Amino acid sequence: MATSQNSRERVLKLFRREPLDYIPLFSGYGNITVHGLEKYGWKFPEIHTDARKMADMAASTFRLFGFESAVVPFDMGVEAEALGSKVNYYTHATDILYPTISQHPAEKVEDLNLQVPSDLARAGRIPLVTEALRILKQEVGDQIAIGSWVLGPYTLAGQLLDLSQLAKAAFKKKDLVGKLLDQLAGVLIQLIKIYREAGADYITVREMGAGPDILSPRMFESLIRPPLRRVFDGIESPKVLHICGDTNAIIDQMALCGADALSVEKKNNVTETRKKLGPEALIFGELDAYGVLSQGKPGDVDQAVKEAVERGVNAIWPGCDIWPMVPKENMETLMAAARKYGKLN
Amino acid sequence: MATEERTKEILKGLHEAVAQFEEEEAAKWSKIALEEGVDPFIATMEGLAEGMMEAGDKYNKKEYFVPELLMCADALYAGLDLLKPAIEASGRKSEVKGSIVLGVVEGDVHDIGKNLVKLMFEVAGWTVYDLGKDVPLDKFVEEQIRTESNVVGISALMTTSMLNMPEVIKRLRAKNPKVRIMIGGAPVNPEVAEKYGADGYAKDAGTAVDEAIKLLKMLKEEELSKK
Repeated sequence: MATSQNSRERVLKLFRREPLDYIPLFSGYGNITVHGLEKYGWKFPEIHTDARKMADMAASTFRLFGFESAVVPFDMGVEAEALGSKVNYYTHATDILYPTISQHPAEKVEDLNLQVPSDLARAGRIPLVTEALRILKQEVGDQIAIGSWVLGPYTLAGQLLDLSQLAKAAFKKKDLVGKLLDQLAGVLIQLIKIYREAGADYITVREMGAGPDILSPRMFESLIRPPLRRVFDGIESPKVLHICGDTNAIIDQMALCGADALSVEKKNNVTETRKKLGPEALIFGELDAYGVLSQGKPGDVDQAVKEAVERGVNAIWPGCDIWPMVPKENMETLMAAARKYGKLN
Repeated sequence: MATEERTKEILKGLHEAVAQFEEEEAAKWSKIALEEGVDPFIATMEGLAEGMMEAGDKYNKKEYFVPELLMCADALYAGLDLLKPAIEASGRKSEVKGSIVLGVVEGDVHDIGKNLVKLMFEVAGWTVYDLGKDVPLDKFVEEQIRTESNVVGISALMTTSMLNMPEVIKRLRAKNPKVRIMIGGAPVNPEVAEKYGADGYAKDAGTAVDEAIKLLKMLKEEELSKK
């Protein structure tokens, strides 16, 4: 891919709103594939607990296909594990099973005595993620942008408590939940600083558990937005906010959280979003990471990239983690389509 | 015995208590129903369950969200805890009922949807064998064989865990070709259900029981036609 700007410059310029040759093709979260696993001969469970493997896997989609970013970690358990949850890595599994939380420090918000480690940088797998970031920075950091991500405060709370109990408490014990989310916002600010210092060029905050399929827009405004705003105010650019689901009902509120860019998935109508937020807003996403990229034919991938560009996305960016079983041809088509349709004046 | 008018009032009280997620009200009206001789089966189906259906409609219309649904379910349970023993004591049974094995596939620890489905099956008088969440694939097969259940319901909230469903379906069919399998959860739709080889798909907890009953009827007809 001989182009005038390299991938890293392209991504950083996008955030600085400088002129670009092509719309960047990158992601704020997982973009690893089984082809990367094959390349190294590793199994899925082992790449979450070894910094070297984590870094190599993160860079593998760039090395194999030319994808323009490398992102760690891959699972949603890192923050909660550092705060007292237990993680199941499914070490027995031969399939792709993402780690999940097997035990919470408390079930109900009133019973949670949040223990924030005095040295967060050394808690749980955080040192492993930072080590992976350092390796990536050193080995591919001059070619591609290095990304990292954290869960948003509410989604993180859902990894520390029973999710049903949390959802009910959001209604019945709003003050208590609000206080917890504010505490977690403080933890996330610290954690993001640690990731940035280790080499992350940009950060995505994924508040996937608080979208309008789950909580009302009214609750988003009163309970979810304030701690998100605190996180974004407390960290440096570039910073992205991602929420899953049909986010059109809350997109204007997402825009008030203080992120540089908003990331949405397929269910968001980006044409509407663009209309609402105006030409200056940075909107990433919509590319259907499972239905099209993984399950579709190369022609579907080509068409989806074309449509995303037509709808005015600022980055060709999968709306979710790329499903690792994605066919090789689809990844190759994705790269080619990004160049075919993404050329800018 | 309550008059027809009083019965209506009590059923409305039960319905409203669930739809407005008032746990104490649901318990209060259930006690009243029992004291005043309303058939506990009618109180459950035409009172509590109707209230839950209204809650489901409100969820689909985006008037209610997950917290509200969960609180409605709590209100329903508050009533069901009181009415269920009376139904059992009366010997009354619903017309079509069976037993179902329910669980969330391995790799997924989200069970809110599955629990709502479970609730609706319990209301309808089915026997529910609940495997919980993060269930290893073979556990579905073992439990189906152990309990001889007619139907297996498999749930997944995340796309990533949905992808294990075809394997569970394959293994269930290999052991018992007659079993009826339904799947559901946020990433599942009718096309996915067909592609994965499931017999049924339920969009939400409210339609899950109807779908299961449909499957049971089909199963019975097939058996009859073979005889």
